[in-house]
Amino acid sequence: MSTPQKASPAKTLLIVVFGIAMAVGGYWLSVNWHPAFVENLNQQGIPLDLGKTVSMIGMFIMLFPVLNFFYFKPLGGAIHERTTELEKTFSEAEGLRADMTQMRSDYERRLAEKEAQAREQIQAAVKEAQQLRQTLMTEAAAKADDLVRRATQEIEAERTRVLSELRLEVVNLTLAATEKLLGENMDSTKNRKLVDDFINKVEVKA
Amino acid sequence: MAQQDARVGKRYAQALFSTAERYDVVQSVEDDLNTIVNLMEKDRGFRDFVLAPYTSRDEKVRIIERIFSDRITALTMQVLRVMLEKRREGEIEAVRDEFVNLRRIATGTIYVTVTSAEAMPDDQQKTLLAKIAKSTGKKVEAAFRIEPLLIGGVKVAYENYVLDGTIRGGLNHLRDRLKHDILKQF
Repeated sequence: MSTPQKASPAKTLLIVVFGIAMAVGGYWLSVNWHPAFVENLNQQGIPLDLGKTVSMIGMFIMLFPVLNFFYFKPLGGAIHERTTELEKTFSEAEGLRADMTQMRSDYERRLAEKEAQAREQIQAAVKEAQQLRQTLMTEAAAKADDLVRRATQEIEAERTRVLSELRLEVVNLTLAATEKLLGENMDSTKNRKLVDDFINKVEVKA
Repeated sequence: MAQQDARVGKRYAQALFSTAERYDVVQSVEDDLNTIVNLMEKDRGFRDFVLAPYTSRDEKVRIIERIFSDRITALTMQVLRVMLEKRREGEIEAVRDEFVNLRRIATGTIYVTVTSAEAMPDDQQKTLLAKIAKSTGKKVEAAFRIEPLLIGGVKVAYENYVLDGTIRGGLNHLRDRLKHDILKQF
């Protein structure tokens, strides 16, 4: 927006002096100069006073800088200030809008990044869960196999132990029965023969 | 403590045996020791008196001298007196055992324990001891014991050897063999 052109003080002073000169000159003419055609016009009922007219024009010329100083100039400044303020407001609004646009684009970018990050985390978690599931299943299978193997070994060991104890019991019972039979059938004659056989066969070590 | 006492008894026995050997009274001293130990084993009152810690040494020596002075050799009496004065009366049995052991070593004698289910006739005893003496080339001293649990046969033990000809021994041997075989299968 264009700023109002300022009148130079010299030019204003010249205009005021010229106005004052015209007002004073017009007044002088109005008092001292009465031409014939003016008198004629006055007689015809048309009042015309050129001196006053010139004085009035001088007054207007003189009044114009005053009006300009006290009215037009402040009014132009206010308008200019208003315009400047509006431009500033619009500029700030534009800046805010640009900021808002930037923020929105940042927000959308960050949202997209967060979504991508969340997707990656979810995929990683799913992958980890699948691996954990696989590991747990493998471990469970290994434990189950181990339990089965140990149970089989324990059963086999228990079976062996029981069988061994059974056979040892059979041996003990058989030997106990044999001992009883031998004890019942032993007499002095047989004992003597046993001792004689022992003496004959024994190898005495030196 | 028991090991130390055994060592002490061994020293007394060695000293006593060497002295007895010098004076050629080994058999007499052994008989004396056997008499004293047998009395201690059979007479509880005498044993308690000998081993009593509260009886004074002088009183023990005085009474022992009164009992044995005219029954045992002077050497045995002297050793007995020393042991009582030194409070070594608890080692008397160990001294006797070690003395007998030294005597057997010195005379080349082995001690044989013969255990049988029934009493062995004399001829069998002599035959058995003669065979052992011949095989070992040593004199034989034997103790015969009767153990009915052996069922039948005889068992001879000497030095580090055991010759088992009893039915009980045979059954035990058979039991061990069978158990070994059974356990070996598994």
